[in-house]
Amino acid sequence: MKNKVFEVKDLRFRYAKSNVEAVCGISFDVYEGEIFGLLGPSGAGKSTTQKIMTKLFRDYQGEILYYGKDLKTYSNAYYEDLGVGFELPVHFSKLTGLENMKFFSQLYKQRANIETLLDQVGLLEDKDRMVGEYSKGMKMRLNFVRALLNNPKILFLDEVTNGLDPKNARIIKDLIRAFKADGGTVFLTTHLMNDVEELCDRVAFIREGEIVEIATPRALKIKHGNREVRVEYFSNGKTEEAVYDLDGIGENEAFLKLIKDKEIETIHSGETSLDDIFIKVTKAKSDA
Amino acid sequence: MHNFSVLLKGEMQRLLRYKILQISFVVTLLWLGVLFLIGSEHVGDFVPLFIFMDVSMMTVLLVGANLFFEKQENTLKTLLITPSDFFALIASKFVASLYLGLQSTVFIALFALFMFDVSIAFVWLMMFVLLITFAHTALGFTFTVYVKDFNGLLAFIIFYMFIFAFPSIFYALGILPSSAEVWLMFSPTHASLLMIDFAFGVSVSWWLLVIGSVYLVLLSLFLIRFVVSPKYVETAVRE
Repeated sequence: MKNKVFEVKDLRFRYAKSNVEAVCGISFDVYEGEIFGLLGPSGAGKSTTQKIMTKLFRDYQGEILYYGKDLKTYSNAYYEDLGVGFELPVHFSKLTGLENMKFFSQLYKQRANIETLLDQVGLLEDKDRMVGEYSKGMKMRLNFVRALLNNPKILFLDEVTNGLDPKNARIIKDLIRAFKADGGTVFLTTHLMNDVEELCDRVAFIREGEIVEIATPRALKIKHGNREVRVEYFSNGKTEEAVYDLDGIGENEAFLKLIKDKEIETIHSGETSLDDIFIKVTKAKSDA
Repeated sequence: MHNFSVLLKGEMQRLLRYKILQISFVVTLLWLGVLFLIGSEHVGDFVPLFIFMDVSMMTVLLVGANLFFEKQENTLKTLLITPSDFFALIASKFVASLYLGLQSTVFIALFALFMFDVSIAFVWLMMFVLLITFAHTALGFTFTVYVKDFNGLLAFIIFYMFIFAFPSIFYALGILPSSAEVWLMFSPTHASLLMIDFAFGVSVSWWLLVIGSVYLVLLSLFLIRFVVSPKYVETAVRE
């Protein structure tokens, strides 16, 4: 059994000028070496939860244990373990990429090789350019480098591929997987299901401050999908479709005859996509 | 004070890169130009006023501009998730601001001394300028964490000047009785002006200077503890 990095118990948080709780008694665990995704629509409480776990918001109710010890008892040395990739660029625009990274790096005891990191995200050639001249995608890649500067144990990533083209998004996702392979733990908040599908070991869906589902992506797909097999085949000069129960499919004569006799174009099981699950489980209570 | 030196070095680098240091220097040059035009007959009256303007209103403006740059670039937030002490974070910004105040004061004072032979109690001047800049840095932080943009900050400064400058003007014009001066010391503007005047040879009761100094220190500490610290984090985290 893997160690629990975080144990979040009955976490509640209310913004100062609000009558309603932004986070309403959520509980979950994050295990060492896993990529845990907290998913939900804008305003559901994902970023608030992340800000509480990164100690930016400290006035919460409930309990968060970090390696078994109350998070509130940790000093700022806690940040030596953490790398945080924000949703928006967080750099001094009138300093170069390298100057920005050098400045932030000096604030930590553990320091990664900045040039290696810049090279990994394809920014080494632009290291001496002012960040103000960077494109949004370049700034987001620099955000990721910023998160890795202190060789963290845990990465908090908020919409990490936001604004990146597919090629650069792939680079970042590969680096996240490499971080995990080295034993790192990742807490990912996003509404991009493609990222979740590729990266997350477990996901929690949050709606209006409450967790409504928590499982592996595969388990969720099976739970919310239909137990059926959909076959598209070519017959009489056109594409036709047939649907069969998944249960007992190996003994279903009609299905077996179809795949033996017809020219099959596609076969799909009825598992649903994470996009569909997202829409279904995060639908507002008032719309449900 | 973990990471104070790194943070201070970063502040100084950014003062230069965001041209705040250069702007402050240009404003100082403008003061020197105006003093040169005023000439030796009246220069003694204007030097304390210009130093006051520089270390009070200019400090508030530059602190505000600096914080707005950082707010815009979300860097306030990213510094909060480093192992740095919060106090070191705030202190580095205060020290950078004190540097700006001292730099312009030294230039103006040396210019007045060498060009016009104005008599100056340098030690008192530097001590009081440090106090005044410290208090106005705290005020600059306070104003900035309460407003949404730079225009809001300018409006706040104008409002502040009306509230605190008018009683001093009324006092100077004799509209307010001399007994009112002890109460005027609770205006940062009046206290600051009186302290700078003292450094330029104006006779000021020692107890007024003590009241002014203690008041500015207490005001600064109060603002840092009860306004700047809680609101800074709120401002940084708000997107």
